[in-house]
Amino acid sequence: MTETKQTGLSRRDFVKGAATGVCAGTFATMGLYSYSPFAKNRLAKTTRAMKDFGVLKSVKITNISETSWFNNANLIGDIHAAGGLLVNQYDLNWPPFGNGKGTAQGSYESGIASIKDLIPQDLDKAWEIQEKLSLHPENAGGYACLIEVEELNGKTHKYLLDTGWSYKWTDAAFKREGIDKMLQNHEIEALFISHEHWDHFWGFPVTMKYDPTIPVFIQDGFYPEGLQYIKDSGHTGPLTSYKKAVNPFIPGMAVLKFDVPIINRVFGEISLAFNVKDKGLVLVSGCCHQGILKFADLAHTELNYENDRFYGIYGGLHISPFEDWDPKYDDLVISLGKWGFEKIGCNHCTGHLTAKKFIEAGYPVIRGTARFRSSSPDYLGNGDKISFGV
Amino acid sequence: MERNEVSYLESRKLVKRWNGPLPALANSLFIAIVFYATWWIFQDPRGIMRMYTPYVGYMVCRWLLILFIWVAYIFDFWPFKKAWLDRTHPLIKGSVLLAFSVAAMFLLIKVFFIDILGNYGIAYFNPERLTSMGITEFYAIEYAAEAIMMFAAIASWLSPSWVVACENAPWQDLPQPARGITIVTITFFLSMIVYFLTMHSHMAILFYPWQKFTAICPPYWEEFANTVSGNFHIAWIMCCTVVVWLYETIWERYPFNLIKTNWLRRTASFFGIIIIAVALAFFLYFCEELAWGPAIRGTRRLMAPDWRWLHVGEMAIFWLCPSLFLSFYCNNWPTKFSRPVNVILRTFLTAIAAVLVYIVYYKTSHLFLGTQKGFSHPQQFPMIPMIWLINLFLVNVWFMDGWPGWKAVPKTAEELDKVEAEIVASDVKWTPKFAYGLLAGIAGGVAVYFAIINFIPWFSKVYTIIK
Repeated sequence: MTETKQTGLSRRDFVKGAATGVCAGTFATMGLYSYSPFAKNRLAKTTRAMKDFGVLKSVKITNISETSWFNNANLIGDIHAAGGLLVNQYDLNWPPFGNGKGTAQGSYESGIASIKDLIPQDLDKAWEIQEKLSLHPENAGGYACLIEVEELNGKTHKYLLDTGWSYKWTDAAFKREGIDKMLQNHEIEALFISHEHWDHFWGFPVTMKYDPTIPVFIQDGFYPEGLQYIKDSGHTGPLTSYKKAVNPFIPGMAVLKFDVPIINRVFGEISLAFNVKDKGLVLVSGCCHQGILKFADLAHTELNYENDRFYGIYGGLHISPFEDWDPKYDDLVISLGKWGFEKIGCNHCTGHLTAKKFIEAGYPVIRGTARFRSSSPDYLGNGDKISFGV
Repeated sequence: MERNEVSYLESRKLVKRWNGPLPALANSLFIAIVFYATWWIFQDPRGIMRMYTPYVGYMVCRWLLILFIWVAYIFDFWPFKKAWLDRTHPLIKGSVLLAFSVAAMFLLIKVFFIDILGNYGIAYFNPERLTSMGITEFYAIEYAAEAIMMFAAIASWLSPSWVVACENAPWQDLPQPARGITIVTITFFLSMIVYFLTMHSHMAILFYPWQKFTAICPPYWEEFANTVSGNFHIAWIMCCTVVVWLYETIWERYPFNLIKTNWLRRTASFFGIIIIAVALAFFLYFCEELAWGPAIRGTRRLMAPDWRWLHVGEMAIFWLCPSLFLSFYCNNWPTKFSRPVNVILRTFLTAIAAVLVYIVYYKTSHLFLGTQKGFSHPQQFPMIPMIWLINLFLVNVWFMDGWPGWKAVPKTAEELDKVEAEIVASDVKWTPKFAYGLLAGIAGGVAVYFAIINFIPWFSKVYTIIK
């Protein structure tokens, strides 16, 4: 009897010890192994797909507008008053979806109702109405650029990346750079909307005013309001919504899609990659919410490009768009040099402070002329051009 | 032992009002309703006050957590008398104690941090000063809130640690409020030191140029953590916060409560919590690397080391919620086995539950909390709703005696004696069989670890649960 009891006790002691040991062993290994060089060696090495997507001769970019807004305090003040960076952009009561009810009381339906009959044919009137109904209409600018691509055989293509925000500002910028005529003449083959944000997309009727048949390319993160806006703006051409990450477009040009959550309830972004003969890869973005290094990393993983070298960047890099800062942005400033870009044409949501830090770090930032309300010569401003491979 | 010799929480026994799972279900429903109502009123970006900016809301919920801990654990409900706590209806008691905590939080944030520290010490605690120096108002508020919040994050590890691990020593015999004031002062002082060592440099490089004369820039952890962001520290500090409560609840202070010598047990507990937390932080970071690939410095969000460290803290918080639920509303089930077996079973169950909560959260939160869709947006802060929920658990159990499913009754003298005896566990003894079991268990633990780290890359390659 005593012996049986003793055996039972011993077994229980063993189990108690074993239970204690499992916890101790697991946590000890977690601590000793997880952040060690052995653990790093276990991580799967990236296998490069090296997809051949062709080569082209050159890429020229004209900055139609990089000034998406003119006053940070007003823009971020409106967002703050509405409840912060997570509030749905269509609720903010910004033009062209103002309904006169004030902060955060807007909606796509109530906003578009006031101008639906006027777009895209009478944008002046539509904007005039919205100036009365929306918050800070004078603050709206927009982002758009013209991309001219020359293939190796000399054939050229023109594309628009994004279409601004304010009807008034975007239309004026289009006229300044001759985009209106190019659209009317159907010289521009496609409009890429990088993402659904107000400053890249809400000027959509301006492009439709001049060419409603233009093929439009978006990605599958668009919300129902955005898709409805494309219809309500009178678009009659083909609409393509990218689902895959890598989408070759013409020889030497690919559209890359990123599933990235973005402020004010926006999801996903597309950016463009160009393989320039003898130079390397050029990355062009609207806002680059995915981050320029993520963009470069996906291109590096998926694509085969000249000299296996990154050559250039153009566009918003979305680092300090409101001149805010975070130590993680310094991680980018510190790291970017290692990627070897030879021409950095940044602007828009890159932020002046970031451009200044890039220049201080000795990076090849192409300076601008600070014209047409662009406020800093530290980066490419409105009306400035940059070329790769020319 | 007399009731007045132990704290109010130790002196009461929570008794179910109804048999079976009804009390847990009733309380879950009650908390769910209060959670959603208060979330909508205070935090939701679509709601009324919209504090989820996110740092303002984050600061408030972290400081509320700290105040609850101070009121219940550190001050033992002083200045409220035990007799009042015994006889007052839970709803009234909860409302009064909550209002008291909110008022104290307001005083701390507005008067101490913003008005005193921000005006006479460090400018970044005061949003108005930042705005006057050219920072956009929204970001000025966010920066100040982030700094004030980090103080609370550190204190929410150190304050309960002093009670749970250090057993209030060496001031355990002081009467209230002397004991509370002493422990709050010392833990506040320690929090300040930890803050300067971990977060001050992070704040200093928020401003251009880097504030090199006032803080170490770039920070000393840059090479080790692969980022200059203070999120590296948030990772292990959040894990400390979580491990303190795991140790107090589902682990029943095991295994350090086997140590009979007071100073050794307290020291081992305090530092043991830190070591376990750091191990957990490294492990969770490694899990991210296994699932998503190695972090790339300078990238944003999912691939960025700074976000990966932040997400370590977020994952840890996902573990705390089911652990507290199990402890508060399921009577720390299971309890029928020996203490070590109960502990390992609870650890396993709550870890699984944490994974489920994590999945459900990321799949649905944007639909009903107004948060951003996806994993890694800077404004997707699962810590806020999770801590908001934990705050409600604490209000319900500490301030309202588990109403409506439970009621408080005074413990008998015998039960109070058991509280005293429980400080050192007597049900686990060192024997040769225990030692063999321990060795076998350690080997098993190592095997469990390697099984997990082999499973994660395979699983993440085959299945995508959250897009």
